[in-house]
Amino acid sequence: MRNYQLGRALAHGAVVSALAVSLMTTSVLGQSVDISKWSPEYVRSIAGTEEFDTAEACGSVTPLDYEGKLTFWYQGVFEGDPDLLRQYYKDFFETFRATYPNIELEEQALTYNDLLDKFRTALLGNAGPMMVRLQILGGVEFASKGYLQELSPEDVGWKTEDFWPGAMKSVMWEGKAYGIPTNNETMAFIWNADIFERAGLDPEKPPATWDDVVAYSKQIHDNLGIAGYGLVARKNAGNTPYRFMPQLWGYGGGVFDEARENPSYQAIELNSPESKRALQASYDMYVRDQSVPVSALTNQQADNQPLFLAGQVAMMISHPSDYNVMLDLQAKATGGDAEKAQAVIDNMRYGQIPTGPDGRRAVVFGGSNIHILNPEYVDGGEVDEQAAKAMVCFWTSPEWSLKMAYAGSNPGNLNGFKTKWMKERLETIKFLDVTTSMLPYGVPFPALPETPEIMNIIIPDMLQNALTGAMTVDEAAEDAAEKVRNVTSGEGL
Amino acid sequence: MNAVTDHAKSSRAGIQSENVLQRMWRQRADYLYVLPAIVVMLVVIAYPVYYTIELSFFKTPPGLQLRDKVFIGVDNYSAILSSEVFWRVTLNTVIWTLASTLIAFVLGFGAALALHRDFFGRGVLRAILIIPWVISAVAASYIWKWIYHSDFGIIGIVLVQLGIVDRPPNFIDSVGTVLPSLIVVNIWREFPFAMIMLMAGLQTVPDQLLRAAQVDGASAWQRFWHVTFPYLSGVSTVTILLLAVANFNSFIIPWIMTGGGPSNASHIWITHIYELAFGRQRWGVAAAYSVLLFIIVMTLGYFYVRALSGNERKENRA
Repeated sequence: MRNYQLGRALAHGAVVSALAVSLMTTSVLGQSVDISKWSPEYVRSIAGTEEFDTAEACGSVTPLDYEGKLTFWYQGVFEGDPDLLRQYYKDFFETFRATYPNIELEEQALTYNDLLDKFRTALLGNAGPMMVRLQILGGVEFASKGYLQELSPEDVGWKTEDFWPGAMKSVMWEGKAYGIPTNNETMAFIWNADIFERAGLDPEKPPATWDDVVAYSKQIHDNLGIAGYGLVARKNAGNTPYRFMPQLWGYGGGVFDEARENPSYQAIELNSPESKRALQASYDMYVRDQSVPVSALTNQQADNQPLFLAGQVAMMISHPSDYNVMLDLQAKATGGDAEKAQAVIDNMRYGQIPTGPDGRRAVVFGGSNIHILNPEYVDGGEVDEQAAKAMVCFWTSPEWSLKMAYAGSNPGNLNGFKTKWMKERLETIKFLDVTTSMLPYGVPFPALPETPEIMNIIIPDMLQNALTGAMTVDEAAEDAAEKVRNVTSGEGL
Repeated sequence: MNAVTDHAKSSRAGIQSENVLQRMWRQRADYLYVLPAIVVMLVVIAYPVYYTIELSFFKTPPGLQLRDKVFIGVDNYSAILSSEVFWRVTLNTVIWTLASTLIAFVLGFGAALALHRDFFGRGVLRAILIIPWVISAVAASYIWKWIYHSDFGIIGIVLVQLGIVDRPPNFIDSVGTVLPSLIVVNIWREFPFAMIMLMAGLQTVPDQLLRAAQVDGASAWQRFWHVTFPYLSGVSTVTILLLAVANFNSFIIPWIMTGGGPSNASHIWITHIYELAFGRQRWGVAAAYSVLLFIIVMTLGYFYVRALSGNERKENRA
């Protein structure tokens, strides 16, 4: 196993840093973070250089002997997460209870795909929890509707400049902050070097562009009869936009102008020639070449992981945690399957996500944010703000924002990179460098209330309409653009 | 005797001359007995139905809270009825309901007739056939999803290994095959219910009548058609209506297996309503859809009650 293309990553990072800085900063956020310095080398240089005492820091926000009650829903671990993360979640709540023994905590974990539905339903009946941790695209929707309290890092003892500006954008609505980022990540690209070699490709050279992905996928399928690229196009699953948007942005397209400097989210670009070209690439792989899993329309990433481990998928966009998930799955395999899985892990390579035809590289700037609700929408009509701030402080602390993102993400609080656990993490989590090197290319989802519907329903619908032949590529893109127009104007079904 | 008859006649005449209020007062004890149930139903059924109807006349833009809804009259209904998706989803729902109901009923009928005969291992076979009905629909959906998997599903692999096809058939990732594939799963889940209902019905067919028909020279088909089947008509009607109502309201199988996809090809009313409400927050449109569905299901419910009443009358006559 090796981390690949780091040199090239740094070179490209320098070229795009100006654009990236503009994408990751915002004028409303005071001092900005210089993202260009966040190279893997920089991360290594600061890891383990500072110590933080979480109990002491949060004790100054909410006294440790505070008596109160807290209800809390959060996007927790799911079937696609590694076991390591489950342990950290367990440790977190045990530690919180030990630190704040007089806060009666009722927490509830929900999966990525269920949380929004349940939270929306509860809010309609004024039966929400006192606080919630949501996926990054959810915050603006609820802030714009008045469900959330204003909440900034300063409210719990941290500084705004200690968080990625791009992440802070996702909690801003009309110039005010309504949450704090807990973790942020960018994905990378993984491939199976052994399959590449058997298919006649250079095993150490990943596809440089999305056009290469299409060509490689076809070559792998034609030569070996297995899927080349792990396409994901399921509806109502967060995995789909996380895997298609990098392709869309890479080709120069977008839903709006979200991948550009200072996006305004006014003009709809889903039907632009660039966007259609990105959709055409998926069509070529699924329909023309039949070089991706046929099950892509019902698959999510958790379905592709075992296929990759079984050597049936050669490459895919991958979450940083996928390596650990593969190890977990391998440990559960027996006999010949275990050996086969180990061989795949040994041949696993991580690289940067391919670029579009003009060298544009992009990835979703993902993560989660933590929020406190307004009392009128909470079950019982009251929010214990002190207890809630204790939890917010705890989760967004350098220690726990790092530990809760140990295998799958990066700490929302940038001071987490300076802790001893980051140093330990760099030594134990393979390929962390590659995902960190993708940070400069991160594009936040549009900060609009309608974004969850656009990303979870309209984008997958567009893909499915084109890939099933229900519509042509042109028609599917135009139809999706029309739907975005309707949803943003409040018209149509 | 005559005095008793006269008294009964005069009582009946007195009752018939009562107005509604007087009759309710006379039957007040009956109302008291059902009062708790009525109160619960008003809270958990009547109010939500009322609120859904009210909501169906409002626009609920996704960027606003529900309390900021805007009154638009019947626009939601006209938008739904003029929408291409509505007719597609309605066609899916009709195909889903009719095919699932009728085929599950026919299979259940066949299984009930087969298991009504006494043979070795009947109990074990009956237990096995009931399994699809008793296992969790969620678990069954996930299992079938993998059975159908378009790349590595067991059906596809077996067909490829037998040389019947070159590559695994595409069951649930194709707009043409997804709905029939889901209907098969639904029938598999539901036919044991029809089987149990009809097995119970078969117990009511008098043996002596069948034997008498046999002595009179009736063939097996004639005994079935002229003796058994008429006895099962009541339970058959009830079974079909219950299956139809359940299928109109199906959610778990299509939602878990395909989420209504690909390209809306397996969306039926309930999954579409769920997506409109909880995925897209079009509460008003979803409410209007729900009202239309409510009318259809209530119509089926009316026939169900009539069928039950008919059965009771028949039993009373017998």
